[in-house]
Amino acid sequence: MTNHWIDIKNSDCVLIMGSNAAENHPISFKWVLRAKDKGAKIISVDPRFTRTSARADYYAPLRSGTDIAFLGGMINYILTQEKYFKDYVYNYTNAAFLVDDRFGFADGLFSGYNPQTKIYDKASWTFKKDAQGVILKDPTLQDSRTVFQLLKKHYSRYTLEQVSSITGTPVEDLKAVYDMYAATGRPDKAGTILYALGWTQHTVGSQNIRTMAMIQLLLGNIGVAGGGVNALRGEPNVQGSTDQAILYHILPGYLAAPWAKAQGLKNYLEQITPKTKEPQAANWPQNLPKYAVSLLKAWFGDSATAANDFGYNYLPKLDDGQNTSILNTFDAMYEGKLKGYICLGQNPACSLPNANKVRASLGKLDWLVHANIFDNETASFWHGPGVDPKKIKTEVFLLPAAASMEKGGSMTNSGRWVHWKYVAAQPPGDAISVGDMVYRLMAKIKDLYAKEGGNAAEPIKALKWDYADAKGAFDPLAVAKVMNGYFLEDVTIGGKSYKKGDNVPGFALLQDDGKTSSGNWLHCGMFTADGKNLSARRGKSDPTGLGLYPEWAWCWPVNRRIIYNRASVDVNGQPYNPARPLLKWTGGKWVGDVPDGPWPPMADKEKGKLPFIMKPAGVSFLFGPALAEGPFPEHYEPLESPLAANPMSGQRINPAVKVFKGEADRFASADERFPLVCSTYTCTEHWCTGGGTRWMSWLTEAMPHVYVEMSQELAALKGIKNGDKVRVSSTRGGLEAVAMVTHRLRPFKVQGKEVHQVGMTFNYGWRFPNDCGDSANLLTPTVGDANTMTPEYKAFMVNVAKA
Amino acid sequence: MKKCSRREFLAATGIFAGGLALSSLGIPLGSVKAFAQELTKADRIKTAKTTISTCYHCSVSCGLLCSTDTKTGKIINIEGDPEHPVNEGALCAKGAAMFQMSANNEHRLTKVLYRAPHAAKWEVKSWDWAIERIARKIKDVRDQDFIFKNDKGQMVNRLETIGHMGSSKLDNEECWAIITMARALGLVHIDHQARV
Amino acid sequence: MSDGKSIMVDTSRCTACRGCQVACKQWHGHPGTKTKQTGTYQNPPDFSADTWKLVRFSEGKASNGKPYWYFFSDMCRHCLSPGCMEGNKKDEIVQDKQTGAVIYTAATKNLDYKKVHGGCPYDVPRQDTKTKLIKKCNMCIDRLRANMIPACALSCPTGSVQFGERGEILKKVEARVAELKKDFPKAKALNADDVRVIFIVTDEPEKYHKYAEA
Repeated sequence: MTNHWIDIKNSDCVLIMGSNAAENHPISFKWVLRAKDKGAKIISVDPRFTRTSARADYYAPLRSGTDIAFLGGMINYILTQEKYFKDYVYNYTNAAFLVDDRFGFADGLFSGYNPQTKIYDKASWTFKKDAQGVILKDPTLQDSRTVFQLLKKHYSRYTLEQVSSITGTPVEDLKAVYDMYAATGRPDKAGTILYALGWTQHTVGSQNIRTMAMIQLLLGNIGVAGGGVNALRGEPNVQGSTDQAILYHILPGYLAAPWAKAQGLKNYLEQITPKTKEPQAANWPQNLPKYAVSLLKAWFGDSATAANDFGYNYLPKLDDGQNTSILNTFDAMYEGKLKGYICLGQNPACSLPNANKVRASLGKLDWLVHANIFDNETASFWHGPGVDPKKIKTEVFLLPAAASMEKGGSMTNSGRWVHWKYVAAQPPGDAISVGDMVYRLMAKIKDLYAKEGGNAAEPIKALKWDYADAKGAFDPLAVAKVMNGYFLEDVTIGGKSYKKGDNVPGFALLQDDGKTSSGNWLHCGMFTADGKNLSARRGKSDPTGLGLYPEWAWCWPVNRRIIYNRASVDVNGQPYNPARPLLKWTGGKWVGDVPDGPWPPMADKEKGKLPFIMKPAGVSFLFGPALAEGPFPEHYEPLESPLAANPMSGQRINPAVKVFKGEADRFASADERFPLVCSTYTCTEHWCTGGGTRWMSWLTEAMPHVYVEMSQELAALKGIKNGDKVRVSSTRGGLEAVAMVTHRLRPFKVQGKEVHQVGMTFNYGWRFPNDCGDSANLLTPTVGDANTMTPEYKAFMVNVAKA
Repeated sequence: MKKCSRREFLAATGIFAGGLALSSLGIPLGSVKAFAQELTKADRIKTAKTTISTCYHCSVSCGLLCSTDTKTGKIINIEGDPEHPVNEGALCAKGAAMFQMSANNEHRLTKVLYRAPHAAKWEVKSWDWAIERIARKIKDVRDQDFIFKNDKGQMVNRLETIGHMGSSKLDNEECWAIITMARALGLVHIDHQARV
Repeated sequence: MSDGKSIMVDTSRCTACRGCQVACKQWHGHPGTKTKQTGTYQNPPDFSADTWKLVRFSEGKASNGKPYWYFFSDMCRHCLSPGCMEGNKKDEIVQDKQTGAVIYTAATKNLDYKKVHGGCPYDVPRQDTKTKLIKKCNMCIDRLRANMIPACALSCPTGSVQFGERGEILKKVEARVAELKKDFPKAKALNADDVRVIFIVTDEPEKYHKYAEA
């Protein structure tokens, strides 16, 4: 979230689309309804009428996988009705930038597409520059090569009628939603978007979110109280686990993971550090070398020296274009290319797409290590339905873990607030924390290499691994301080002296010469120089009255509660909305939230800096060349859809998407055997695969068994009655479920034809309770977003028949 | 869930219905009065240790108050932290059920379990045995398969035959320790819930 | 003496998160019972000796053609003059003097369940078939004695379930109904003069639950 949970109360219009906040983030509705109490409009856009829709002012249905069409229509509406926030769009976005003359778009493809590799050459997705390298701009926004005019042209194709015939949303619903939301384009109004996996889990997931981010920029809703682009993140610490980068492509703090071309530290740092000639751009990422070197110092300690590139070569490097995200990992596992797998606190046998393939893959491993607080379908895959244990070679270690209330440490909520928690009770039996397991395991591995030597022993020997408390157990507080970082020598910065061994009290003080360490620069500042843990704070003061609670816990970056907050003020530093001032320049300083940089307002042409400090040009990107499939989002059909052709262009699916072609991966689009759109989701009463919640009797009592929701109309067509046992099948697999026939789903009118959609939660699995049914992921396809490889769980094709 | 000994016991005393001490109503009950008062859950919570924690489900991260019996060391109640500015004491069905994620749930894993190749059953093992064996397996694969250079002769120092997954259900410090270990080992098949 | 306590259940704010349903079980140590999926979100299907707070779900098609989905977080109304007490022989069912909570004691096993149940217009009391005890919500009387609010009210995220002094709750109910009437002409409080647990609905009560209103 750019903003945070409490801030929802400050909104004038809450659009809930791509999420089902009332069901999946129930406490968010405390703040949604407080906004509503003050007159805000609450909009729910969802294929299915949900518990969120029940509390919304307005509900509009849409067919799964058509969000870009829906939102593209909104961009068209905002531009043609002139609802955009002109001052903001001109000052804080790249609307005025002139785009390279080679850039173009025709029949669903942008310039530079290579149909063989399915990769775009982005050379034309750039801006015109003057001789000094400064980007050319047209302040009038009239030049046909301005981002603004290109944007207008691109989205002029998304008319109400065209959008409605793709999404199945009635035209009057489109109009009503566009009108309500576009009303927040005024300086004194703020609109917020609450989205979640309903947007990410598509082959166009990243572009779904980008489309909305563009709307927020057009309406001036980013960086303001009650606005923002708010991903309602999933798991309890998914924000933190992402920040710590348990991901193939990044290192802690979102530093790019090294790759083969970046040979040597100097080369790597040059390639990750953006440059700019824009006069008022802060270009904060120019500091990345300080964060990278400080990370290496945290990892390798005294073994990291300038002479050995601070241990940069110890880190693994991927080949160019090599992708080892989860779908590729399991594809390799299915091919027998992995020997061992360590899976901690996750249940891929039920959570990954095409579960039959995933479960078969686990049987091709030599060994599997799994830690959890309950048994699940992953640990027990070798005695699952239809599996003969005698034929499974895999050795399995199932390690009993401590639950969250049985260990100390911190978790980061969706609003980036880091909360410290304490031990309430000891774990049962031999259970220990996962931190303890990892600590013991790596200590043992270091021991083996110390005694025996071995292949590539250097990084293992060099690794700093001294995180035990007095009793020899994993010490989370010691790790938290290393993540924050230390001064490794006495230093004086900006006239202030710090002693060797002090915690670094903020990432602006980190150095690239080895004098500081920091395991994650974003966590730098969580501790004061003298070691006070700010994430444990419980202060309740709220000086702005906006619910920022600056003394409650701690949030990254540097306790800034709303990021990009200098976009909430005009060039003179005065709040666009004086009734809800987040920040104000007064008496030569900023008052309010922690400002996004200390510089004076933009009107100071010498010292003033643009507000989007993480963007090299200092402004936000309406024209965004970073994503794989184009600088403007475009509607493509899901990999599996009811339509044989894309009504918008000749390009049916996302042109940059990777399609798996192995024997276990089958797809069926516009196929009469599988005529129904299906979407998977979760319910309030269970958590993800139910790996935890299915063992909790109060929750299985409330939601005991797998079910499939369908409309009255579809049930009548299929001769199915509410409560009937039915079989749901896709070209990959199937399962039995109980039919839930409901008014809350309706057929869609798409391209003049009736299209039916059904939905299932993926909360179930065969392991426990033994009669609850199996996973909806037996149905889903192995295909991911072209940028993130997040699977397309939200739109695929099935059939339903009475069992 | 483990059988609730409190309820059984109280039912046996014959003075409770639905967990209520009549003595607290001012209805004379003679000698059982003081005894009954002592046993109400609310009274036990007053003398319990209170610990701040965070809900283990969605990313709202609601504040929790855990009450732990100081004699048994067991958690006897978990409810929302009224001081927490985000949830103000509120919890949804999952949050309100956190008690069943504690050691009070009889289904919790309490032993290291091992399944040998082709075996039909789990065996109980010790931590020392398991850590030793897993460390050995990792080292064996790493010694066999570590890739120092790619086809172009570039230094890559990676290991593609062991993968790691998870988890966003772990604390920040645990996540950091995990990625530190994974990168030191040279793993590249690294992912977790954030992707899916 | 004060007017005792009251609870407002504002269905227009309920998201059916079922925090109240589970918080009730957590506090009272009630087991999760074995249930079946029969084509509805509502489970357990009804009150029982182990389920004193239950979110009821009902859906249909509204006059504008869009769906509606009503949530009714059902519980004992703690009547001012409880009909169930008509079944009393002695003091098997009592009314707490301070709060007005209607309490079923261990002596309810001696009562005629049909008579107790028959006296309740809201279909609340249930008998434990094994112990013969008659059971229902006790307003978390043990929590109230310890200056804690009822578990359901604490867990409620949206202020749908609010606990307080009866006088204050009645004022809140009145104000909320007036506010809701602007958008929902059928909005009303159910049996506010007769009960301590006052439900607010925005449509006909029977659309929420057969026994919503007496």
